[in-house]
Amino acid sequence: MENGKPESKVIVVTSGKGGVGKTTTVANVSTSLARMGHRVVVMDLDIGLKKLDLILGLENRVIYDIIQVIEGECTLKQALVKDKRFPDLYMLPAAQTRNKDEITPEQVKALCDELRPDFDFIFIDCPAGIEQGFRNAIAAADDAIVVTNPEVSAVRDADRIIGMLESAGFKDIKLVVNRLRPDMVKQGDMLSIDDLLEHLCIDLLGIVPEDKNVVISTNRGEPIIMNNRAVAGTAFTNISRRLLGEDVEFPNFEDSSFWDRFKLLGRNLFSSK
Amino acid sequence: MLEFLKKIYSREDNSRTKANSRLRLVLTHDRLDMNEKIMETLKGEIIELIASHMEIDGVPDVRLITEGRHAALDISIPLKGRS
Ligand SMILES: Nc1ncnc2c1ncn2[C@@H]1O[C@H](COP(=O)(O)OP(=O)(O)OP(=O)(O)O)[C@@H](O)[C@H]1O
Ligand SMILES: [Mg+2]
Repeated sequence: MENGKPESKVIVVTSGKGGVGKTTTVANVSTSLARMGHRVVVMDLDIGLKKLDLILGLENRVIYDIIQVIEGECTLKQALVKDKRFPDLYMLPAAQTRNKDEITPEQVKALCDELRPDFDFIFIDCPAGIEQGFRNAIAAADDAIVVTNPEVSAVRDADRIIGMLESAGFKDIKLVVNRLRPDMVKQGDMLSIDDLLEHLCIDLLGIVPEDKNVVISTNRGEPIIMNNRAVAGTAFTNISRRLLGEDVEFPNFEDSSFWDRFKLLGRNLFSSK
Repeated sequence: MLEFLKKIYSREDNSRTKANSRLRLVLTHDRLDMNEKIMETLKGEIIELIASHMEIDGVPDVRLITEGRHAALDISIPLKGRS
């Protein structure tokens, strides 16, 4: 609000099911926003199973963690790890040897309130599951992004999470579909984007294709948005732009409908005469 | 060309179609915190209740219909008129 700046946004990235791409999404969307000059901090709430530092390539720079901040062993500023590649990006590390129920929603809220004046975006990397860790992660959030994979079990968990977010008062929950394989959708062996939207009934924020570059960049500790030839990198950059309110078109990965096929068939029949 | 026709006709039972129909059912049940067994019991009781007051003519149909994240019970019971 100061200097006419828009208020800061706390965004939680969640999924229910584990391993669908929450941390990858948080790492890349936040890096991408920081690269555009926005002040971003990522808060790792996957306490006990932290991965965000590794995916961001900041694991060697971690000194303090969020529990030490909460317990008063250090200040919040001391615990924030600055990303040298992106001057506007900071990370608040999770603790690795503690438990998710050692912090409370109120403590997370207090931390976010302390961070708000200095940042445009505060991203919260939520642990898998629907227990305490999830409740902590959503407590301070203004907005929620649900990540899912085009796969029945991930969709079922996403639906449960969306229900819980709605009961907690979240509006405009956004969906990121990760690890889409357009070739499989075309063959009729994977749920399409339209299928997912029909089941989950929330707005689409991004489509990230399956991309082996994600593994490679994770190995290197370099966010994939730094690789401008990777399709997943472009997808994450597009998500960031949409978060900023830009109207970025979705690439058409969709399978053609039955009638499109039918028309195509007709056309082929006639043109082959 | 044959490949193409095969694809069109196998569309009904490809794994994506199957996934969609399974999801439709399981999500509806999850959201309402119910299952197929409760549904069957409910169906039986509704039909029984109607049958105790009126004469049913034909096959009654009780099912869940969904619209977005909302669901409704759709009850269609044909009744026999006075002859
Ligand atoms: N688009 C993608 N293409 C290929 N691999 C991917 C993609 N997205 C994520 N992965 C891989 O999937 C794995 C899980 O990703 P990630 O750690 O981001 O998931 P998560 O939801 O945060 O998991 P957890 O629930 O354990 O915190 C990682 O090994 C990552 O490299
Ligand atoms: Mg994670």
